Parts: sequence; structure tokens; C-alpha cells
Amino acid sequence: MSSDDGSSKKVSRKPRYSRFTQQELPACKPILTPALVIGILMCLGIISIPIGLLALSASKNVVEVVDRYDDVCIPSTDQKVGFIKDPATNKTCIRTFTIPKKMRKPVYVYYQLDNFYQNHRRYVKSRSDRQLWNPKAESSTTVCDPEGQTGDGKPIVPCGLIAWSLFNDTYMLSKNDAALQINKKDIAWRSDRTHKFSSNIYPKNFQNGTLIGGGKLDESIPLSQQEDLMVWMRTSALPTFRKLYGKIETDLEANEKITVTIQNNYNTYSFNGKKKLVISTATWIGGKNDFIGKMYMAVGGTSIVLGVIFSLLYVFKPRPLGDPSYLSWNKSPTLD
Amino acid sequence: MAGWRGSRGGGDGTPSDDRIASSQTVRLGKVQPQAPGHRTVFCNDREANSLAKYKIMGVVNLFMGKRKIRYIHSEVNHIESQMIAWVHDIEVVASWSGDSLQWLLLWIVGLKGALRYHLLGFLLWLRTSEGNSVSTTKYDVFTFLPKGLFEQFRRVANLYFLMISILSCTPVSPVSPITNVLPLSLVLLVSLVKEAWEDWKRFQNDMSINNSNVEVLQDWNWVPTPWKKLQVGDIIRVNQDGFFPADLMFLASTNPDGVCYVETANLDGETNLKIRKAPERTWDFVSPDKVSEFKGEVQCEQPNNSLYTFTGNLIIDKQILPLSPNQLLLRGCSLRNTEYIVGAVIFTGHETKVMMNSMKIPSKRSTLEKKLDKLILALFTVLFCMCLLGSIGSGVFINSKYHYLRFDTSEAQFDPDHRFVVAILTFFTLITLYSPIIPISLYVSVEMIKFIQSTQFINNDLRMYHAESNTPALARTSNLNEELGQVEYIFSDKTGTLTRNLMEFFKCSIGGEVYGTGVSETEIGAAQRTGVKVDAQKRSSAASERGFNFDDARLMRGAWRNEPNPDCCKEFFRCLAICHTVLPEGDESPERIRYQAASPDEAALVVAAKNFGFFFYRRTPTMIYVRESHVDKMGKVQDVPYEILNVLEFNSTRKRQSVVCRYPDGRLVLYCKGADTVIYERLVDGNPDLKRMSREHLEQFGASGLRTLCLAYKNLKPDVYESWNEKYIHAKSALRDREKKLDEVSGHQYSQPNIKKFQVAEQIEKDLILIGCTAIEDKLQEGVPACIETLSRAGIKIWVLTGDKMETAINIAYGSEVACKLINNGMKQFVISSETEAIREVEDKACHTSRRCFSHLGDQIELARYMKELVKNELKSCHEEAQKFLHMDSAPKLALIIDGKCLMYALDPSLRGMLLNFSLNCTAVVCCRVSPLQKAQVTSLVKKGANKITLSIGDGANDVSMIQAAHVGVGISGQEGMQAVMASDFAIAQFRFLTDLLLVHGRWSYHRICKVVTYFFYKNLTFTLTQFWFTFETGFSGQRLYDDWFQSLYNVIFTALPVIIIGLFDKDVSANLSKKYPELYKEGIRNAFFKWRVVATWAFFAIYQSLVLYYFVVASSKRAINSSGKLFGLWDVSTMAFTCVIVTVNLRLLMMCNTLTRWHHISVGGSILFWFIFVFIYSGVALPNKEQENIYFVIYVLMSTIYFYLTLILVPVAALFCDFLYMGVQRWFFPYDYQIVQEIHRHEADTSRIGLLEVGQSQLTPDEVRSYAIMQLPGEKSRHTGFAFDSPGYESFFASQAGVFVPQKAWDVARRASMRSKPKTPRTPRTPRTPQRN
Repeated sequence: MSSDDGSSKKVSRKPRYSRFTQQELPACKPILTPALVIGILMCLGIISIPIGLLALSASKNVVEVVDRYDDVCIPSTDQKVGFIKDPATNKTCIRTFTIPKKMRKPVYVYYQLDNFYQNHRRYVKSRSDRQLWNPKAESSTTVCDPEGQTGDGKPIVPCGLIAWSLFNDTYMLSKNDAALQINKKDIAWRSDRTHKFSSNIYPKNFQNGTLIGGGKLDESIPLSQQEDLMVWMRTSALPTFRKLYGKIETDLEANEKITVTIQNNYNTYSFNGKKKLVISTATWIGGKNDFIGKMYMAVGGTSIVLGVIFSLLYVFKPRPLGDPSYLSWNKSPTLD
Repeated sequence: MAGWRGSRGGGDGTPSDDRIASSQTVRLGKVQPQAPGHRTVFCNDREANSLAKYKIMGVVNLFMGKRKIRYIHSEVNHIESQMIAWVHDIEVVASWSGDSLQWLLLWIVGLKGALRYHLLGFLLWLRTSEGNSVSTTKYDVFTFLPKGLFEQFRRVANLYFLMISILSCTPVSPVSPITNVLPLSLVLLVSLVKEAWEDWKRFQNDMSINNSNVEVLQDWNWVPTPWKKLQVGDIIRVNQDGFFPADLMFLASTNPDGVCYVETANLDGETNLKIRKAPERTWDFVSPDKVSEFKGEVQCEQPNNSLYTFTGNLIIDKQILPLSPNQLLLRGCSLRNTEYIVGAVIFTGHETKVMMNSMKIPSKRSTLEKKLDKLILALFTVLFCMCLLGSIGSGVFINSKYHYLRFDTSEAQFDPDHRFVVAILTFFTLITLYSPIIPISLYVSVEMIKFIQSTQFINNDLRMYHAESNTPALARTSNLNEELGQVEYIFSDKTGTLTRNLMEFFKCSIGGEVYGTGVSETEIGAAQRTGVKVDAQKRSSAASERGFNFDDARLMRGAWRNEPNPDCCKEFFRCLAICHTVLPEGDESPERIRYQAASPDEAALVVAAKNFGFFFYRRTPTMIYVRESHVDKMGKVQDVPYEILNVLEFNSTRKRQSVVCRYPDGRLVLYCKGADTVIYERLVDGNPDLKRMSREHLEQFGASGLRTLCLAYKNLKPDVYESWNEKYIHAKSALRDREKKLDEVSGHQYSQPNIKKFQVAEQIEKDLILIGCTAIEDKLQEGVPACIETLSRAGIKIWVLTGDKMETAINIAYGSEVACKLINNGMKQFVISSETEAIREVEDKACHTSRRCFSHLGDQIELARYMKELVKNELKSCHEEAQKFLHMDSAPKLALIIDGKCLMYALDPSLRGMLLNFSLNCTAVVCCRVSPLQKAQVTSLVKKGANKITLSIGDGANDVSMIQAAHVGVGISGQEGMQAVMASDFAIAQFRFLTDLLLVHGRWSYHRICKVVTYFFYKNLTFTLTQFWFTFETGFSGQRLYDDWFQSLYNVIFTALPVIIIGLFDKDVSANLSKKYPELYKEGIRNAFFKWRVVATWAFFAIYQSLVLYYFVVASSKRAINSSGKLFGLWDVSTMAFTCVIVTVNLRLLMMCNTLTRWHHISVGGSILFWFIFVFIYSGVALPNKEQENIYFVIYVLMSTIYFYLTLILVPVAALFCDFLYMGVQRWFFPYDYQIVQEIHRHEADTSRIGLLEVGQSQLTPDEVRSYAIMQLPGEKSRHTGFAFDSPGYESFFASQAGVFVPQKAWDVARRASMRSKPKTPRTPRTPRTPQRN
């Protein structure tokens, strides 16, 4: 019979050894021992708290003045919407406030809107970035509905709800009756100026319809220099947001009185939105922002506290590592 | 069988006797009507065959001549009636699968007239036009895409994403279609490529088979022709070691006596040779000249999938020759020891038996996967709730006061006048937005992980490689890896699984005298149990030859002549030497001969005869030659030829085998051997002493753990024999319903399902004279006791289901050092046995009347009722007693031993519950004398009734149904027939490898898959929830927080790889420790890592983290973020948040790892790095035509601020802080077992590797050397019909008899048959999944 030859010729089917197939890849096996837990907590605390302190102190150094004016700069309380919608009325409003601490230049002027859903889906998508950058794509306004074209079918540049609802309150600041120059250059991110808003495109047919949503644009200035528009069009993540209005390139001393002449044009009254004027300095961490510092402190503090508690536990009621009596089958032999 | 055959016959409405006559009707221009019950093949006449095939087409096309149409009518009516019969029998329909469905379709359509004929003709044409080419592919070029996609979309997750993708193309969607289409297409692409690759390999395989050549007779010459060109009726020649290209009718061979030897390894895995014999009339058709003259007609049954049956007639010159499976050479088998054979093609291509047998392995899904479906469902619910909340919010929010949003009637979704519509549309918006909550890549990832686990880890594990049989472990499916980690019940076969199936003739009892001095392993065990020391050395010296471990001077070297009963001894030895189906091989000398036997038991008996001086050395189809020594006088050796007249073969219902032989002096003797129960029933009255003594000996042998057989003989009178033989031959040559006819001849009908109908053989196998009995030892496999102990420590309960006797089974199961540690003395044993006096009495009465007057029916029913009542009472009392024990404090463990007969009644629906309740309280259960079907029933009792995860392990055909019934089926491979392996999900070479398979691979897989699934759940939930929180601040508008591409790549790129790495490499404790602490396995049984509580914990942390991730980022970026006073927009914030999410989620993965390999670092680091690379490129490149440049330059703006870095550190730390605390506290105060073990061995290096390298190279113990040497011996590697119900093809019979549906055997034979084996290694057992191995 040939079976004899068959078995002798039979190749070995023994699997070849490799670390992979035998699942013996070199590996480190970290065990989260109590000591390690305590150690990590302590480390976390030691690292987090200084960072938190640093961030907090930076935030503390920021001087910020916030002035809500939407409720003040309106004459009667029951005709707010009518007042704001009437183009003929004089909407000038004068506010004064005192600088609490010395503010070093540059001092930033912001406006803050509340309850304004710049992140609404209908709003966010109503813009045409192609139109803003590519001169040939002027008429690609389909994404801009309902503010894509004028009534007679001409493309609006810049189109869309975002541009249409451009914020148009203006602020004139003065200190001791001397006007403070508000610099509106370099308030938008550079990438917006250089790559999103073209210097060859000028506003066209903007705010020409029956419904006026907000500010108008100077049609002789190219988009790349319309920094207010750029700031506005970088839509905010939350319904409460600040946007940069301009910079003051002089220091403001403490207790100085600042007078602001506001043109209260923008309608937030129909949806009870608040408007605030903010004057603030900025440090390396940005504006007044205690959140990061506080959170670092919280994480660090909790770590330290827990680390201490665990250490005490570890001292008074330790669990010996690898105690076989903790094995379930040693604990309750009758259960199985 | 009789069931459906009967119904088919009835459906035809024609008595079967007419069949042969009707086929002899005059041909009508070669278009001959035939009853559909059988078909006609015209040998060596292509035209006739093709005409016969297309006859219906032809008739339909011509549509002329009323007669022909009438024939068609009758044909169609036949088919219809036949189909009615088929419909009655689900099994038949299932086995006919494709074909019958076509027929059924036709029938259901029920169109009258021409259309029906057209259809019929078309279908016939479809079926017959294929020829012998075979296709096992799932797809072809045209069907691949539709069919493949259809398969993919049957998965709910994919279908869901398809719907989401469609939804995202509508204006409702907040995201661009790419967000959902991209991940879906990636997932589909991966799956389709995999499918295509597998199918391509199958296709290539098919092609090489279809194009291989075979010699076909054409114009008096043998012409090489590709297999696919073969047609029914062709005459072909197959050379030695060649494969049969189709099902052939054997015509002639070069061997004398017209026999040939075939190997059926590809069919059923059996490597022993089988004899096939050509009809005598055609023996000389060897040369082309002779064959060319041959014109014959074969009438045979329709193609079917039964490998072991075939009925047909060959009609030559109006002479009818009966055909049986003996004349059929099946496709897939190969020719051995024969120069060449000539055969006529009968069935081709997909009609061959092997192809008809091919069916999909019923795919099992793991329990964890089913639970995963529930989790997905829960996620759907969460998704629904989130969307509902959001949509209600949107309906409330919408208001025209927000003038800048310009809500008006132009867009339905923003129409403030129809809030309800707004809410509904927003619901869909939110569904698309939150779609990532369903982890689309989960299934693909898990599949990939499992595939690598099984192909790379399980198949290549050196610990599970058995050097002696050269067999590695084999995972035949990758679906069930983690199921291995949760098994609670193991159902094990005994013979060949726990034991080696290495049968050794050990003892015998002749004429009431016990011979054999050996002490069996079980006895040693039993002795040690009672404290007696036994010298085990003695026995190993006696092991002179394989299969013979017998030492008793009273019998050896002719000494038996001096024994009290020498004649009895002589008959005993002759019976051993003659009554068998063994084939001798090699030299005809006692030292060098080898025996090819269907079962090792048989070989052991023949070897024993040889050692006693009755050397069987040659077999021809009609003769057996025995060299007898010491018969006439001491020292005399003579060659005696015995003429074999009939062989009444062994099967599991007959449980006996008989041979009618004629001595040279004309004496007619019937030798019979079989199970004691059947032999005792057929003994002649008288000689009660011998019977009693022998029965005692039988029980004694059984108690020693030995397998016993009774031998008997009977002298026949020539006239009695002649008359019986006539009936026998007549019954054999019936074309159809052969079995039925055999019944008619016998005239017996039994109603009890387990007693098969008596056949003709019954008439002659009676009034036998008892000679004695044999005892064969089946040794325990190496390491079995230790393995069983380990497994039971792991909380796994092992049930032994065996066909052996109760005493044998108990002894094997008994706890001691040597035998299995299943039962020990401390256990309370409950025995439910049918071998009690009371039962025997009733049984005897029933049996008595039945044999005398054939009106036993009432008694049988009486017996059944009695038994049932008895079993019920027994069970009840056991149950009550067990309950008593359960409430005791130091209760002993319980063990149940039940035999097959009682089990039959206990499995009755009314008692089933009680049996289950009771047996689940037992630590050990032994079922003996059980049939294959009962094995399956017991398995599914626990599987379905108790809802526990079950594993069945077995080695033989009798275990197939059990293996398929269990959650996980394990086959023992390497030394046995392949049937169990073919039906199994995993194949291992030794029982002891079960520890590795379960405790190591199973446990790891379970841990890993749990981690992967929960992690997937967590990361998608976290990601989606950040979106959800954002929704509240966007006026419920469904504005997306993340860019489209971020969202679409989140699942498939940024978080895809690490989780796969953890699914492959995570290892809580090393393999050695897994086995050292088997109790760790209990965590899997308890499903400790995928409980709802675990999922809820993950969900809690997902919510917490998402809150931190969202609000920290949003809150911290409200003000100016650097000294230039500028502010972030939406997309800056979102990119910041997304970065934090990526970092957090990837770090969380690192936290859950038990081991950190460099792949962990690479994949986690790589994922984060890839995100940055991606975002740098994506936001740095201004695509000219991109509509919305949200993301342009964002990352550069972000990274120019210190704020970015501060937040990037703060947010992940804060997010993971709670997880870290939870992990620390959990480990400290509520540690898992594996964590304690990790700690115990924290300082130890993983030493398993050193130990592993020694495997296979180390010095073997002498015992191992011997077993290794035995393993290397050829032959006897297979057991076809062992004496413990090991008969393939019978379980479904039992099932149909009992009215139980048993799934068809998924032998996957077709695939294996179509495997090309290289001629160099023709004997290597092949497995379909790993063809590259060859």
C-alpha cells in the first residue's frame, strides 16, 4: 500500500513559531496599583495647579468693561421694534463709564450679542465662500437662499443671510472730550483677509431689497478690506458671542471717563437679544477667561485631595497586592 | 427512509414491481417516457442521452402528435404528484434544495398548458446543460455586484447606513452625503473585496478541476478530455491514484475478479480502502475495442445526496443486472491499488452525490453577537429619543421673531406656521446628524479581528499542535471565538475523544472461561481508588503488537487444545478470523501484513486471531484464506480457504455482523458477532449456564472499562440456506424501495422508533450458539484527567454521552489518578437505568410475545408506558433528594448516570423539564447507551432549556448531530474519520487541547471582543453626544458641530486601528496563568464583561466625557483667545473639540489595555498623528471649487494660540479623570479575579515562551514514544462503523423515524471533493479552509 510512502512524505504541518502567532509580543503590563493611582493623582495635582494659577493670574490681569446698552438706548419700552425699524429716527445714544484699572494698549472694543443664533443651520449655510473668493463665481448664489439674488435676479455680493444681517451699530469713543481713534484694521484673522475674501470683489446689489437685515457695505472697497464683514461672517459657535469691533491704540488710565456715542441701529429687540459694548485688554491667554484656570485648579485640587484620601486609605486599610484571598473562588467557595 | 420512499411510491400511483417492465417498452424514436422516480442512461451513446435529456424541449417546440403530448402530460403529472410527496417531507425538499425549489416554483405557478411545458423544458435545459462542469462559486461577473451588495445589506447596520446615506442626499440633511456615504462605501468595499477574493479562489479551484483531463472513449480510442466536457453515458478510464470525475458505474478493472479499491477520504475523510466490484457481465470491458461494443442502458434512481445508497439496474441485451452502491464510484473518491478502471458516467456535475451533499454549513452566531444586536437596538432607541427630543425642541423654537433667520414659508423645514412639519423634518435631520451613534465599522472590525484570531492564533498555536499525528488545531469558523470563552457545559463523546480509540484485544471469555491476565487502566484507577497498589509495569511488557495486549499462556501457541473446551476455542478463533470486513495488505506473512479495517475494533480482533494461530492473510470477493495452526494436531499449519457466501454487514441498528461461509468440506456456517443485547436475543434455547457465565463475564469486562462483543455461530442446512439466499438476492436486486422489499421478505414491522425494521437477515440470524465474548480496551487519551479537572475547576460541567455500557462509562468517568476525574467517591450518585430486574421482566415478556406471534404491538405500548412511568418516578425521587441536598450546607456534589433507554423517556416533553432541573444541579452527568440523536437532544435540551452555552466534542460520525446542535462544536482531528471535523467549528487533535482552546483562546477572545464592542459603543456614543449637546444651542436646527469629513473619517480612520490592535493583542494574563488559574474562566461564564451593567458604566462615562469635551471647549473659547484680541468662530471651536475627542478617545483605549505592545503605541500615536496630518492638509489646501471653506486655515489659527495647547491638555485630562478614578477604585476595592492574578505574578516575566520552544523537541517518555510509533503506522486511522453506533448516515434516519428534524450533515463534502490534491501527498486529510496548506 502506498500509505507508507504517503506518511513519510507528508510535510510537517507544525505551525511555524513567531511571536505574533504565539501571541508573545513583547509588552509592558502596567498595573494600576494603589500606589500608582496615588502617584498619578499627586503628579496631576502638582502639574495642574501651577498651570491653573498661571492662567488665572493672566486672566486676572485683563481689564474688562462691559456695558449693556440695548435697554437704555431706546426711548419707550413698548415700541422697541417699531423704533428700531424706523430708519428716520435718531438712534444716537451716549453712554459713559469709568475705567477701573489702567488698560494698556492695545485696548480692544467688542460688541456682544445675546440670544442670537449665528449657529443656526439655516444661517450657517447661507453663504457662498466661492463667491467671496472667486470673481468668476459671482453668480453661485444658490446656497445663499433666501438672500441669493435681488428681486430682478441679479446676484448679491456678498450673498446670504449672514452678510445680509451684518451688525451695524457704531461706536464713537472719546476720552475727556477727545475722540479716541478706533482702529478697524487687523481685526479679522489674516487667513480671512488673504484667502477667503478677495481683493478683486466689490460688494454689489447688497442690501438693495425691501427687507434690510443690517449694515450696508461701501461698494468701492473690496471685500478683502471689509474687516467688519469678515468678523461677522466668521460665525460664532454659541448664541451668545462677542465680536471684535476695533482697537484703541492708546493706554487708558484708571478712573478715566470714557464716553461712547452709539448709533443703535441693529435690531435685537424683536427676539429680546441683548447688546453689550465691551472694552478689554488681552494677555497671552486672551481676554478675561477664568474658565481654563479654574478648571486646571479644580482638576489639580481634586487630584491632590483624592490623592491624600487614597494615601490615608492606603495607610490605614491597605489591600495587599496580589492577595489570593481576594480571588472570587477563594472568597466564597460554597457559592460554586 | 421507508417513510419518504413510501410516500413517493404512493405518489406515483404505480406499483414498484412494474418499474422494470415499463422501462422495457418500445422506444418512440428514442424519445422514451420515463417515470420520474428513476432515470435512464444510455451508456456509450451520446446522442441517445442528449435526446433523452432534451426530449421535453423537443416536444414543446414541435408541439405535434397527440401521443407525445400525452406523454408529457403524464410526465408533468408524475412530477406534480411526486412533488406533493416531496412537500410532505421537508427533509427531501431540503436535500433537493435548488432543484426542488425550481420544481416547486413551477408547480406553485400552476400554469396550465404550454407555458408550463416551456418552463419545464427551460428548467430541464438549465439543469442538463451544465454537463460535468462544477461551480462552487457564490457569484459570477454579473451577479457579483447585485448579489454581493444584497448580502451586505442584509446586515441591519449596513441597511441603516444606506438609508441614512439616502437621507443625507436630501435637503433635510445637515451634513453632506459624503459623511455617511464614505464610511458605508469603505465598509462595503472591504467586505466586497473579501468576498471577491474568496470567490475568486473558489473559481480558480473550480477551473482547475473542470479543466483537468480524463480519458474518454471516442472511436475506439481513449481520448483525454477535460472533466467539464464529460456527459452522462460516456465511457471513461480512470488510472491509479486518479480521481473519479463524476459518479461512475463501475464496468471493469484491471484487477482480477473485477474489483477495485477506492479511497473516500475526500468524501467522508476515511482513509481506509473500500472495495468496489463491477457486475460480472462487464468484467472484460477493459480494452477500448471491447468497451466500444458495449451498449447498455442504466436505469437508476434520480440524483440524490445519499452517499451510501444507490439502486439501479444495468440492462444489457434485455438482461437486467442489479446495481448497488458497490458498483458506484463516486466523484471525489480516488482509485487505489488498481492500474485503471473503466466506468460509465451516470451522474455529472452538480448531480453527483458529492455535489448534492454540498450545502452551506449552517452558520452559528455567537451569543455575544446576539447580545450585541440587542445593544444596537438599544442604541437605536437612544437615537430615537434624542431625535424626538430635538425635533420637539425645533418645533418649539421656530419663530419668525428671529428676523435674521428669515423663517418663512419658502422652505418647509423653516416654516414657523407649521410647527409639526418642522418637527418631523427636523427629526430626519437629526437622525442623519446623529447617525454615527450606530458604529458602522463595528461589524467589519469585529469580523476582521475574529478572522485574524482564528487563522493566525488558533490555527498556529504550537500548544495545540499534536506532533504525533502532525495535526495543528483548526478553526473552521471564525464566528465563535468568543463563544469559546463562555462555555458552561461540555458534552463529550467517550470513545476516541476521551479515549485514544486505540483498540487492543485485552481479554476474552470462551465457553464460560475467562482468559487474559492484564489489568486495565480503569482497573488500576479503581484499585487506586480503594487503596490497593497495582503493579502497572507488568502490562506494558505484554503489549507486543498494536491492537493486541493479551497475555495468557493457556491460549497462546496452541495451548488452547488442552483447555476444557477446545472446540469452542476453535470456533471462537475462526469466528474472529472469518467474520469481519477487514482487508489485508502487504506481504502475506504474519509479521508484515497490515489490516485495513473499517474500525479499529475489527482490526484488533483479526490481529488477535492471528496471534492465536488463525492467520487471515488473503481476501478475494468470494474467499477468505486463513492459515490455521495447531488445529488437527500441535504444530501443524495449513492454509484453509473459506468461501464467503454472504456478508450481512454491520450497522448501528443491527449492532451485529454476520458472515455465511462454506468450509472446504462443504459445511455451511454462519458466524455472527455483535453487541450482547442483540446476540442474546437470537441465541438458541438451552445451555443456560454458559449464557449466565458469559453474561457475568460481560458485566465484569464492562466494569473494567472494556468494550465487549459477543461471538456466536450456527451451522446451516443447505436447503434452508438456499431458500433464504434466494429471497435475499431477490430483495437485493429490487430497483426501488429495496429496503421496503427487504422488509416484506422478513415480514416484520416494528413500531418503536429505535428498533429498525428487521430485514431479511433476521430470518437467518436466529437460533445462534454462543461461543464467548471478547473484551477490547480503549485507552484514555493523554492528559485527559488533568484536562477534565482543569475544566471543572473553570466552572465547566462535563457531560459524557457515550454509546458504551453503563459500567464502562461509569468506570471511565470515575475519579482517580488514571481515569477521568469526573465522578469521585464524595459524590452522591443517582443511577437511572433500564437494566433493572423489573424492566427486564416486562421487556422479556414483550419480546417473547413479539417473537412468537408478531402481535407485539400492544405489549410494546405497554412497555413504553411502564418505562415512562418508571423513569418519571425515578426522576421525581432523584429530584426530591437532590433538593434536600441543595439546602444542606456541606452538600456532596451530585452525579447522574442515565442510560439511553431511560433517556428516551426522560426526554419526553412532559418529563423534560424535570430532567433538566435535576441534571443542572449535578456536577457530573453520564449518559450511556445513547444514540446520536439522543446526544443531540440532550445537547439542545441544555442549550435551549437552560439557556447555557454548550460545547460538544466528538470524533466520529455518531457525534455529528451533537456537534451541530451545540453552540460550539469541536471535532477531534488527526487520527479519525473526518466527519466530526467536517461538521465542527473547531478541530483539535487531542481532548486535552480543550484547555488551551477554551481557557486561553476562548477567554482571550471573549475579553478582547468584549473590550472591542464596549469601546466601539463608548467612542461612538461620546462622539455623537457632543453633537447632541450642541443641538440645544443651535435652536434645535440640527446644525452639525463637525466638518463633514471629520465626521465621516472618525469611525473609519481616526479611531479604527487601535481598537483592532486591542482586539488582537490585549492579554490580561499569560497563557500559562490562564491554565494555572482556570477559575478565571468563570468570568466568561458569568459574562462579567458584557453585562448590561458594564454597558451602562461605559454609557455613563461616555455621557460624562461628552459633556466635558463639549462644554469645556465651548466655555473656554467664548472670549478672545490670544493677545491679538481675536475670537474663534464655529469651525475653530469645532476643530478644537474634535481634536480633543480624538485624543481623549484614543487615550481611553490605552487606559483599558492590559498589555501595551509597540503596536498599541504605533496605532494610538498613529491615529492621533494622522488626524493632525489630515487636518493640516485638509485645512491648508484651498480647493478651488469647494463650496464652503469652513475649515480653511482653521488648524493654523488654532495652533497659533497658547489656548489650544492649554485646552488640549486640560480637556482630555478632565474627561478621563473620572474613568481613571473609576478604574483605580474598582481595582482597589472590587478587583476582578484576573487583576489579582496579574498582581500575584506582576514581577514574573512571561516564561511561557521558553516552555513552548521545547514542545515537540523535548525527550518523549517511553509511553509517548510508543504511542508516537503507533501513530506513524499506516492504516487503521479511521473508524467507520465502530461498535458504539458509529455509523454515518443513520442519525437522520433516527430523526425522521422519531419525527424530529435533524439538520443535514454539513460535511461540506463537495468543497472538499473539489479540492485539488497534489499527487505527492494524496493521503493528507484535506480541509477546505486552508487549501494553501497543501
